[in-house]
Amino acid sequence: MAVTAGATDALWEAAPGRLRSAARAVRTLRSERGVYFAPVRHHSPACAVAVRVAIEELRPSVVLIEGPEEFTRLVPDLLHEATRPPVAVLSLDAGAGFYPLASFSPEWVALRAGQAVGAGLAFIDRSFGERSDEERAVSGQEDPFARTLMSERYLAHSEAVATLARRLGCRDHDEVWDHLFETRPSSALADWRTLFDDVFAWAALARLDYEQSVLAADGSLDREARMAARIAEALDRRDADTGAGSGAAGSGAGPAGDAAEASRGPVLVVTGAFHTLALVEALSGAPDGAAVRDRQPEAGYGAPEPDEAWLVRYDHERLDGLRGYGAGMPSPGYYERLHAAHLRELGLDDTPPGQAGATAGSGGRSAARSSGGRGGVGRGGAGAGSAGPVGPGALAAEVLVDVARGAADRGHAVSLPQVTAAAEAATRLADLRERAFPGRTDLLDAMRSCYVQDDGGIGGPGEPERPLGLAIAEVFGGRALGDLPPGNASPPLVRDARARVQAVRLAVDDPMPRTARLDARRTPSHRERRQVLALLDFVGSGFGQLVSGPDHVAGRGLHLVTEEWRYCWTPLVEARLVELVHLGATLDAVAVARLHEAEARLTESASGSGGGASVDAAARLVAQTLVIGMGTHLPRITSLLRTTMDTDRDLDSVVSGARRLLGLWHARVELGAQEHADELLDLVDQALATAAYLVGDVGKVRAEDEDAAVGTLIALRSLLRDTAAARVHGPGASASARRRAAEAGAGTAGDLADAVDPGAAGRLAVVREMGRLRDGDTTAPGVTGALLALGFTDGTVPDDVLVARVRGALSAGADPGIAVRFLGGVMRAAPDLILHTPEMFDAVDGALRTLEADAFLAVLPDLRRAFTWLRPTETHRLARRVAERTGARVEQVDVRVALAEEDLAVGLALEQELTAVLERDGLAGWGTAGRDRRGTA
Amino acid sequence: MTTDTTIPAGTAAGSGAGPEIRPPAEVRHAGELATLAAWDAERGHERPPGWRLSPRAVRAFVVGSEELGVSRKFYGDDPLVDRAVVSLMGRQGLMLVGEPGTAKSMLSELLSAAVSGSSTLTVQGTAGTTEDHVRYSWNYALLVSEGPSERSLVPSPVCTGMREGRVVRFEEITRCAPEIQDTLVSILSEKQLMVPELGPDARVAARPGFTVIATANLKDRGVHEMSAALKRRFSFETVAPVRDRDFEIELVQRQLEAELGPRGDSPEVPREVLEVLVTVFQDLRTGSTREGAPVKRPETVMSTAEAVNVAVAASLEARYLGDGTVTTAEVARQIAGVALKGEEEDARRLRHYVDNVVRERARHDAGWKAFFGAAESLWR
Repeated sequence: MAVTAGATDALWEAAPGRLRSAARAVRTLRSERGVYFAPVRHHSPACAVAVRVAIEELRPSVVLIEGPEEFTRLVPDLLHEATRPPVAVLSLDAGAGFYPLASFSPEWVALRAGQAVGAGLAFIDRSFGERSDEERAVSGQEDPFARTLMSERYLAHSEAVATLARRLGCRDHDEVWDHLFETRPSSALADWRTLFDDVFAWAALARLDYEQSVLAADGSLDREARMAARIAEALDRRDADTGAGSGAAGSGAGPAGDAAEASRGPVLVVTGAFHTLALVEALSGAPDGAAVRDRQPEAGYGAPEPDEAWLVRYDHERLDGLRGYGAGMPSPGYYERLHAAHLRELGLDDTPPGQAGATAGSGGRSAARSSGGRGGVGRGGAGAGSAGPVGPGALAAEVLVDVARGAADRGHAVSLPQVTAAAEAATRLADLRERAFPGRTDLLDAMRSCYVQDDGGIGGPGEPERPLGLAIAEVFGGRALGDLPPGNASPPLVRDARARVQAVRLAVDDPMPRTARLDARRTPSHRERRQVLALLDFVGSGFGQLVSGPDHVAGRGLHLVTEEWRYCWTPLVEARLVELVHLGATLDAVAVARLHEAEARLTESASGSGGGASVDAAARLVAQTLVIGMGTHLPRITSLLRTTMDTDRDLDSVVSGARRLLGLWHARVELGAQEHADELLDLVDQALATAAYLVGDVGKVRAEDEDAAVGTLIALRSLLRDTAAARVHGPGASASARRRAAEAGAGTAGDLADAVDPGAAGRLAVVREMGRLRDGDTTAPGVTGALLALGFTDGTVPDDVLVARVRGALSAGADPGIAVRFLGGVMRAAPDLILHTPEMFDAVDGALRTLEADAFLAVLPDLRRAFTWLRPTETHRLARRVAERTGARVEQVDVRVALAEEDLAVGLALEQELTAVLERDGLAGWGTAGRDRRGTA
Repeated sequence: MTTDTTIPAGTAAGSGAGPEIRPPAEVRHAGELATLAAWDAERGHERPPGWRLSPRAVRAFVVGSEELGVSRKFYGDDPLVDRAVVSLMGRQGLMLVGEPGTAKSMLSELLSAAVSGSSTLTVQGTAGTTEDHVRYSWNYALLVSEGPSERSLVPSPVCTGMREGRVVRFEEITRCAPEIQDTLVSILSEKQLMVPELGPDARVAARPGFTVIATANLKDRGVHEMSAALKRRFSFETVAPVRDRDFEIELVQRQLEAELGPRGDSPEVPREVLEVLVTVFQDLRTGSTREGAPVKRPETVMSTAEAVNVAVAASLEARYLGDGTVTTAEVARQIAGVALKGEEEDARRLRHYVDNVVRERARHDAGWKAFFGAAESLWR
């Protein structure tokens, strides 16, 4: 640990020549052109403090900030007093890019402090829209929210920084940074000249590791060319305004009294430190700056393009999450506290007392609010001050106590002596590592030493989750969520969605996940909430998700009464909404657009060659429309559905669609769709009429699809019953109609025509068609079997007919394959028939007895499947019956035998041998008798 | 206790019959310790009471310092060393926990050598450790002839450490019965040891510099629980197995040199061979290869120490039985014998590894091919 704060001065002597001349150029630019550079690391509290002090001392006329130049338009909104960091500027151009600003971000502080001294503020980087795809690719990741415009991967991967880390005993470049800069005492940060010189050297060393071609390929040079040009423009403008040439800013030593007139003050450039070297070289005319200068167009860049950019709220969690992408510093919660502690120490804390003081809380909402409030740098007079640790040294105790509390809340008790020991250890670690006060890693190490009393570690990334790890994540990660002024800064869609969510009293003020348990059937307000939740879900905002409860769209859990949603208003929600702005300005408009999209897809498939749209898909859309409370759009979609019914040739789709519609009718109250109830039932009726038309097709089904067809028929039959019941209990049905309809629903061919039931005819038609199919000669055997069984259960097929048909189908000489398919249909539709109808049992028994061994083996798999429709108790009863019949004891039949393939082979060989012996002895008849019995068992 | 009390601490019992197999750390690294002491004096580093070196020098002794010419002795987790050094300054003892073979004992030896100048005040915990080993016992001949007296009292390493203000090491503390472990509870909190036999006020008071570094294995078979009271008196540090492959190769190489003596005596193990060895150990230890293919983990702990043992055995085989060059074939032969402790199940896991991972690698790489050839014929 030879290099300590301030000692970097000595290193200048050993620095490469390019660096030394750049350092001279920095001084020349300061004194001759009045331009000051503030090389910063994004989200560094140390740099933020230095920027603040520098601005207050220099009173610059202009503050230029790295960031796409189209953001300049948003400066008034960023400066609005209701704007609370963390917020992010969002660029939308072929994908979203974020530019997050926390209270401790130097860029944020530059804006606020610059405003306080009356400086002009502008962003000067190349606009997001102009950046190439590769450039976006390197700064971004698959997660759109991580596409930050502040990538700093060069520092993370620099060989020079890695060497420095090894030399200093630091584990990564974050700790190197902490060691060199963040652990400087407040007073050292106030010495902004030294700090910026050191940051400049640190980043410039890292930059020298990279080839010019790499920097050109990813757009760094193009961006620097733009920034350099904008700086030069600003200088020219200022000089023209004041009529003064070089030296206008004075030496910059001490409070620049002569620069009180804002327009004559120097220009301050706040950029990522990695770019400072290039900017200095480009502006000073150094030979190394040619690569950047040559990229500038002759005629200049002209006025910034008015690209779209919005403000969105951001939170610490995302900010922390960016760490993996090399876009800033980890642990925003910690650094926010550190920044605040520095400000208090320096007497710069100007947060109104009422807004602060809750930092000691172990997270949660109060902390989130207050920390948002502390971000107000540069507003109002200094000296009000907020409660909290004064100076970074005092911060350690606060952090240790908060983590201990957070851990205790989660069941990991940390005693007071442990906290004391940790405070002591943190101080000693800082001392050992030659730091002025315990930094982030010192605190983490101290807690690892003193709070953990086993070998499980603290838990967290790469380790199982543990209470301590969670508490640390909470305190170090922070919980703050930014806020924005009402107005045009945030996209209208986001405002509308927020208002909708707030209107139904769902929480939007912090990014804590919450659960809403809703009883939409009984409570109207819950209905509204569900609608908003479903609406946001439908448009794809990721705000909430249905955890349990009826899902009418998917058709799941319809028997459940209450539903449970998990929701959380994260910046990600806002980001997703922002990506939808092209669909409409309000949530409803977006939903309508989405519905139109879905309709278009349906129509497309209807006109396409792929067999047409499915009724089920259309019914799904109807469900979706009702669930999100957009019943006014229903007519359009139902007419689409009706058209689809004319074209859909798939009985299964029609039946499931009708089933879905009936489910919606049942849920009409909780969906708030009473006025559509009749419409829904009408649709069901129409679907049944369509089904009647399609039922005939089922008879021609191929053997392999027979099972599915039988399933559809069974569903159709239960749909018939349920629809009848719905008509009976539905609104408008008279008592007599109810009775009659009940009879019709039960399947008797009652006189339905005059019933007050508009759908009765359709249902009758289905019953009629099913009967026709049942009696048809060419109907697939499984379908016949199923229809017979259903008819028998409903009373439309008399006992004797059933028995005769079963006997016929299973009679000797019938094709065993067809017989078994028939039996399969019967068993699936009404498995218990074989138990309750002795004749049928006899017929089955007889048929199986007469089967040849080979034929028996061939149909055995299907046979086995047919009998699986029985419930275990029924299987048991059947086994008893079979045992009685064959004269065996029940225990012999009802026994579990574990047989392997080898056993079977041995058995077969044995049987063949035995048969041969019997034949030789003229006793062949014995063998066949045994085979018969086996067939039955 | 049977230790001859006339042998002063820091001297090996029975010395004189040839060189020691392994002298203590303070002897092996005497030069470096002296350098660091001089550095402290030159820089005016503050030393905690009772310490021979400043905390920074202790740290440098363990993790090395290029400028001072001090070698790195512990790899992979510098923050752990920082924490350990700081823990030693506190009131609590230091408990190093972790899987076997993660160099816990080595770290404890290095720390005590640097802090106190000696690493020999050691209680070696076993199931047979009694309270006498932790507190004190008596020279019974003297006890009978003179009665309880200072002269007849045989101090334990703990007792000596308290008197002299030095670091005491307690190895494998969880192998002792819990009631024996708990003897430390009051010693660590009150920093004194009562000796009622010598009178109502007789006690051994701890001098500054006294602390305990315990090492423990919390998960191995045959270890005991630790009481909450004892846990409270220690700062826990988990020593993780070395994850970095290059670090582990370097570690094995250095240890190998230390074990085999100066170069020339024994055939050197080429780096490619070490790479294969360390890769095998890391694959088997983590349960997956670097490419992410799953591997069946053996019960045996595949520690770095075992890797060194394998390398030593391979080198010796090449020297005495082979042609003097160490190849991956020797390594393959030795892994089965040295690393696997005769578990039939482990042998099957290893065969699975050879069949699935090594076979594939053998197609492209000569080193793996030799390994595969030897392993295939041997491990069937």
